[in-house]
Amino acid sequence: MVDLSVSAPGLDMTNPLMLASGIQGANAASLHRVAASGAGGMVSKSIGPEPREMYPGPVCVEAATNVVLNAMGLPNPGVEAFAEMIESETFSKPLLVSIFGGDAEEFAAVAGRLVDAGAESLELNLSCPHAKPGSRSLIIGQQPELITDVVSTVASAVDVPIYAKLTPNTSAITEEAGAAVQSGAHGLSLINTVSALEVDPFVGRPIIGNLMCGLSGPAVRPIAQRKLAEVSLAMRRDEIDTVPILGMGGITNGLDVARFIMLGATAVQVGTALAHKDVAAFDEILADLESMMVETGYSNLGQMQGVALDAMEGIN
Amino acid sequence: MSLPRASPRHSERRLDIDALAVSCANRLESCLDEQGKSLTPVPLPLLSVEHEAEGVVTLWVDVPRSMAISYSPGQYYMCWNPYDAEGGMKRRDYNSEKPYSVGDIKVDIDRAKMGFTVKDLGRQSGELTRMARGDWLALRGPFGTTFPTPAAGDRLLLVSGGIGSTPMHMAAKDARNRLGDEIEIIAVMGFKNAAEAHFIERMELVCDQLHITTDDGSMGTAGFPTAILPELLAEATATRLYTCGPELMMKAVLKMAVKAGVDSYAAMERYLPCSMAFCGLCMVGDKLTCVEGPVMEGEWLLAQDDFGAAHAH
Repeated sequence: MVDLSVSAPGLDMTNPLMLASGIQGANAASLHRVAASGAGGMVSKSIGPEPREMYPGPVCVEAATNVVLNAMGLPNPGVEAFAEMIESETFSKPLLVSIFGGDAEEFAAVAGRLVDAGAESLELNLSCPHAKPGSRSLIIGQQPELITDVVSTVASAVDVPIYAKLTPNTSAITEEAGAAVQSGAHGLSLINTVSALEVDPFVGRPIIGNLMCGLSGPAVRPIAQRKLAEVSLAMRRDEIDTVPILGMGGITNGLDVARFIMLGATAVQVGTALAHKDVAAFDEILADLESMMVETGYSNLGQMQGVALDAMEGIN
Repeated sequence: MSLPRASPRHSERRLDIDALAVSCANRLESCLDEQGKSLTPVPLPLLSVEHEAEGVVTLWVDVPRSMAISYSPGQYYMCWNPYDAEGGMKRRDYNSEKPYSVGDIKVDIDRAKMGFTVKDLGRQSGELTRMARGDWLALRGPFGTTFPTPAAGDRLLLVSGGIGSTPMHMAAKDARNRLGDEIEIIAVMGFKNAAEAHFIERMELVCDQLHITTDDGSMGTAGFPTAILPELLAEATATRLYTCGPELMMKAVLKMAVKAGVDSYAAMERYLPCSMAFCGLCMVGDKLTCVEGPVMEGEWLLAQDDFGAAHAH
């Protein structure tokens, strides 16, 4: 039948579906719960130097069909508690640990503690504000020189595969992708949420507790696909060294997975789809992907990877 | 700079709150998906605030009739106060969104009202108890699992502690509406003291027997509901037991029910910020309270290590 297995640095998975960071994944119970589902792997909630509380609610709403908004505020138990958890737990699927910090040193300290505790791969959430005075208006992931600083510092501090997670809220994502790869990232994850805002006209204020928020769900999928294609094509042109890409943004069914793979992704992450179907989403998406591959004559993901890029290059 | 004063109550524009309530209920109806849920918070002006007991109020809002009729006991709504009781939003922690079950519902021919009964237990719930007619309350939902529908001939035991009264009242009212005299409903309501006691009249209307306990003996039997539960379980064969209240109380209640061989269900409360299986912070065992709860099966709950234990918020 169809071989859905995927191999990327630190991630040998039976299928290409991973739990995206920020959805569940902050504690052992929820990670075991996802591992028991159809997912091929998991990304943890982003872990920072200290425990952080959730923003005031509403923290997550579906403002209109397929338009999901959230601002949780990077709630997490802090690196020490999470490191102790992974020291004592064994998960049945690969766990990519997402981390964040206010600057390169904080990132490296969090990374070091987690790798000592047994983390086998890291995803750097670059969509967090930089702690340097005066730079708070921009997040690290919007400034290639800060990406270089963070990625190279973490890469020299730990000896596990590092995936840099990129924000779509930039003018040219290829610059941020290039900075991350050149600084030692073993792979890329894209995209994070699209910056957004929604107001309720009856109450005259934003509907998210934090006011500003991020957009996810099917509404962002074409944006994610465009960013993914831009980075993949830059790799084909050798403007960026080729590394595996974990693609995400609004994936809800098997056809969406195929779209991302055809645009160069090695594996994908699923987040917002869990809002409607919880972890059952993984099994449904997998069944859907498998039947689509059978019908269209693909026997493994490698055959499908990049075919839409071939078409785009052929037309050019 | 002055604070925003956007609640209808504080507005300088003269608003007809009853007319606004009808139009907001219509808007809420247009936001319902095919399962009858609104996934976005829809603000409704409070029509009235009913004093129930010390620190306990019921907030009444107009809702679509379809929403009132299809409500099942156990389900919760995420309730958000976009402004605090002063009409501002300066104290952010006081403006938040938390899960509340429905305390009472009134359905007329052309309109329906839902009452959210809230006890002052923290910053947001405390702020809600200070609200008044014309303040905004936004609803998102309903979410969650429901109590099993009882059958004719059942003997239903309902055990509540404190504000756990609300789902027990809706379970009793729903059972009575469905089955009339073909069901026997026996309720035990536990309170800290007489000043906190509420919903007595509401429960008397729909229950065959009502027993009150207070921790300090200022009303009813002194002690927790578990002080009188063994007698009630022994007296006659209960077929089902539903409970809602502090987790330690529910644990003791469920143990008694399981020992007596009675099917039991508890409505759980956990720190539940998102309601959408997103944040993963409301777990009990391997289940998410937001989507696999709040109503959970008694024997299953008793088998979970973190049931009745201190848990992180």
